[in-house]
Amino acid sequence: MASDRPPPPAVRPVVHRDVVCPFCGLGCDDLTVEEEPPSTLAVRSTDCPVARERFSRTPAAEPPRVAGVPVPLAEAVEAAAAVLAAAQAPLVAGLGTDVDGARAALALAGRLGAVVDHALSDGLYRNLAVLQRTGWIATTLAELRNRCDLLLVAGPDPAVPHPRVFERWVVPAPAFQAPPSREVVFLCGEPLDTTRAALSGFPITVLAGDSARVGDAAAALAAALPDPSRASGAAGIAAGDIAALAERLRTARYAVVAWAAAAFEGPHADLTVERLVRLVRDANRHTRCAGLPLAGHDNVVGVNQVCTWRFGVPLRTSLAGGVARHDPHRFDGARYAAVADAVVWVSSFRPEVPAFPADKAIIALAPPGTAFADEPAVFIPVGTPGIDHAGHVFRSDTVVALRARRLIDRGLPDAATVLTAIAAALPQEASTC
Amino acid sequence: MLMKLAGGRIHDPANGRDGAVGDLFVRDGRIVADPGPDPGPGATPDEVHDLSGRVVMAGAIDIHSHIAGGKVNIARLLMAEEHRAAAEEPCGCGVGIATPSTHATGCRYARMGYTAAFEPAMLPSNARHAHLEMADIPLIDTGGYLVLGNDDLLLELLASGAGEDAVADYVGFMLNATRSLAVKAVNPGGINAFKYNQRRLDVDENGPFHAITPRRILTALAGAVQRLGIPHPLHLHGFNLGVPGNVEATLDSIAAVDGLRLHLTHVQFHAYGAEGDRKFSSSAARVAEAVNRRPNISVDVGQIMFGQTVTASADTMAQMSNTGLAHPKKWVMMDIECDAGCGVVPFRYRDKAFVNALQWAIGLELFLLIEDPWRIFLTTDHPNGAPFTSYPELIRLLMDRDYRLARMAELHPALPEHTILGSLTREYSLGEIATMTRAAPARILGLSDRGHLGPGAVADITVYTDRPDRRAMFEKPDLVFKDGRLIVRDGVVVSFLQGRTHVVEPAYDAKIESWMARRFDERMGQRLTHFRIAEEEIRGGTGLIRHACQPGPF
Repeated sequence: MASDRPPPPAVRPVVHRDVVCPFCGLGCDDLTVEEEPPSTLAVRSTDCPVARERFSRTPAAEPPRVAGVPVPLAEAVEAAAAVLAAAQAPLVAGLGTDVDGARAALALAGRLGAVVDHALSDGLYRNLAVLQRTGWIATTLAELRNRCDLLLVAGPDPAVPHPRVFERWVVPAPAFQAPPSREVVFLCGEPLDTTRAALSGFPITVLAGDSARVGDAAAALAAALPDPSRASGAAGIAAGDIAALAERLRTARYAVVAWAAAAFEGPHADLTVERLVRLVRDANRHTRCAGLPLAGHDNVVGVNQVCTWRFGVPLRTSLAGGVARHDPHRFDGARYAAVADAVVWVSSFRPEVPAFPADKAIIALAPPGTAFADEPAVFIPVGTPGIDHAGHVFRSDTVVALRARRLIDRGLPDAATVLTAIAAALPQEASTC
Repeated sequence: MLMKLAGGRIHDPANGRDGAVGDLFVRDGRIVADPGPDPGPGATPDEVHDLSGRVVMAGAIDIHSHIAGGKVNIARLLMAEEHRAAAEEPCGCGVGIATPSTHATGCRYARMGYTAAFEPAMLPSNARHAHLEMADIPLIDTGGYLVLGNDDLLLELLASGAGEDAVADYVGFMLNATRSLAVKAVNPGGINAFKYNQRRLDVDENGPFHAITPRRILTALAGAVQRLGIPHPLHLHGFNLGVPGNVEATLDSIAAVDGLRLHLTHVQFHAYGAEGDRKFSSSAARVAEAVNRRPNISVDVGQIMFGQTVTASADTMAQMSNTGLAHPKKWVMMDIECDAGCGVVPFRYRDKAFVNALQWAIGLELFLLIEDPWRIFLTTDHPNGAPFTSYPELIRLLMDRDYRLARMAELHPALPEHTILGSLTREYSLGEIATMTRAAPARILGLSDRGHLGPGAVADITVYTDRPDRRAMFEKPDLVFKDGRLIVRDGVVVSFLQGRTHVVEPAYDAKIESWMARRFDERMGQRLTHFRIAEEEIRGGTGLIRHACQPGPF
């Protein structure tokens, strides 16, 4: 009788320590994550809303679907290949995936002659456009942490997209500075309450000008650098404040100008970035100063790295005819979706996907439980890097790649495996070189 | 499977063969001893290539070529115009001349008869990226030299008075953790000083934060390399790159290591005097004399060739001072992770510009004045001096004096009075080219089964038609074998395979790891365990080739 059996042992949570968080590009690798079998995850070591929310979404696996009908994976792969083999103008986009997923997606795109872009490359491109036009002087997170004495935060608080940026990279005492000192200035942006709390031990100045005109403030600062006494006001900030900040920039030992370009307002936000980059360059005539462009949810930085090394050009590239043609305007994924006839959408980090126009054939690789406005032609549930399988992701500063590890097994394939299988199911062609 | 390469003229300097006709036998990817006139059952070749009259060498090895890692990708981004304009092969290879895609890099090296190329500037914090990228270069073997000497942790260790053992342990740990083949030092102390707004640092001047001199960093690293028994000597990007008069610092570096082995890289950029009307002169003869006299010194040249390229270096101190010369006028500097930095500056070397013409001549003077082809290596410091695809032209310049003089006559008219190049009659032989591009790189990197064609060697083999036009000959080998498989025939890639990653794993005292772990937690914002690159991360766990270290006293 069942009642005679000993009670089952209490299910204790499995504790994963030093977990790498792959989601926002800060590369936090100190998380404690508890696993309640079979597959519920909870972040215990931080209040970071991004980490808490993303790790906690782990619904059970579900089967792939073709036209809404559950099918085995092999059948879904065949169906996807059939759709793509018939496509004239395919788009491989979303690209929320790890390095292996990016390799596989780009290889598939190469086979298809598709256009490639990442869902979040708008913010990235505001920075890349300036890098390609003028170049810049940039720095990385550990330099910020250990060397910066003046942090100038331009525009909206970057803690919105990157919640732990201050806690992990600004609050710790600078090791390579004598004597250690640090102050933070917010230019045309209000710090969040959590940011103020994190920075409670530091001198903070808030120059809360018009956040849509942070570029004007940067230009005024650059103009004031040679002679701060001749500063003029800009973006609602008084001339005296501009002068004081210009003077501070001149005398800083290692100033860092940080921004999250995705949050900039206005139709030509790259021009805002360009003015910040010029400010950094001009400040280097007097002292050391470096920019820190923050971007990088869903490994957009890593996917762009892979695309650049694989094809010689970054995202927003067409591979039609076996030739890599890069055009950040024409091959912007959102724009190209209007003319594409088939879309491979890869979103292994999040279950939110956009609504696609009704006449497109959509092949969606996304986590189980993803809600679609319209049922895609093929939906293949995939695992999330850093949860279901190990995977490489790049930090926002583009330098450090981390390997996020596998925590649980929901029986989900990784995006790379699925994409490689779809490519293998296409009509084979001889490769030449 | 047994393959016979029959009747070729074999140039295999490591085994004393200089053009003698002979057969080579390959089984399971390696050279095997001649099975003899009556090979017996099972030894009949399955495949025979008649190489009568052809020239046979081991696959070529590039000791210094910036092929992967963050700075290379920045260079690709910055060179968007070139990538847009470049004619490309219609095979999905990707684009780029000075900064080709990974795929094009592998294909172009293989098509020139190269079977290995090594990334000489892998920053510790960027090593994982560099390995991910190298894994996507097809056909050739790769590996990375770890950049140390501006990393705050090492400088802190040195400034604290830590002994040679602790320094060697630190270097040993870092090489293992980053899966590197050798140690590189770039302007020791200088990149770190630049972060404190110092635009130059003398060899005997204390750094601005860590009270330690460049000379001390240099000797500590050279000593640690020797102590750990790493086959390749310290790979030094010296002081004052590109600055007239920097020959004194170069000669001083040779003296500083006091008999320890040292490899001076892209020495062309470090062989400048400050004499003459233009305060810029060749000091190649002085450098060559020092190298000829000291068997502990080796060099690679970093030859410049004319045209558009992009310079990519960890030496932000030097690169920042070059930004005014950028062509096109844009450039990137980065301070990186308390490790080092990166400076990417596009550049166009013009044959009618005096300085560029003299740089060209200085490189060739070094090639022709340094006598021992085992200690001088053919490089352009790709892409800094020129893209690696210019090697066949460079080989022709070394092998053909008439051609050299003809090219020289097309350059800046003031050049002849500032260079002795016109008087140098040396022409490299095929055997010397084979030494410089095969046997010697393998030997100095410790790749014992590469770079030669003796029994047991990996069957990386290149077959050429012997043409008087050496450029044409070396541009397009007839056959290239990698691991015994034919990968290129008549300039066309006929099969793809993946190369390997060469590393060393020197022994060190693991006590250093607790010190490192604490520093990483406190400063780098990264757990040491995550910094360390697992074997399974290298080419999916199948890619590592380990080379022996021979530690010893020095």
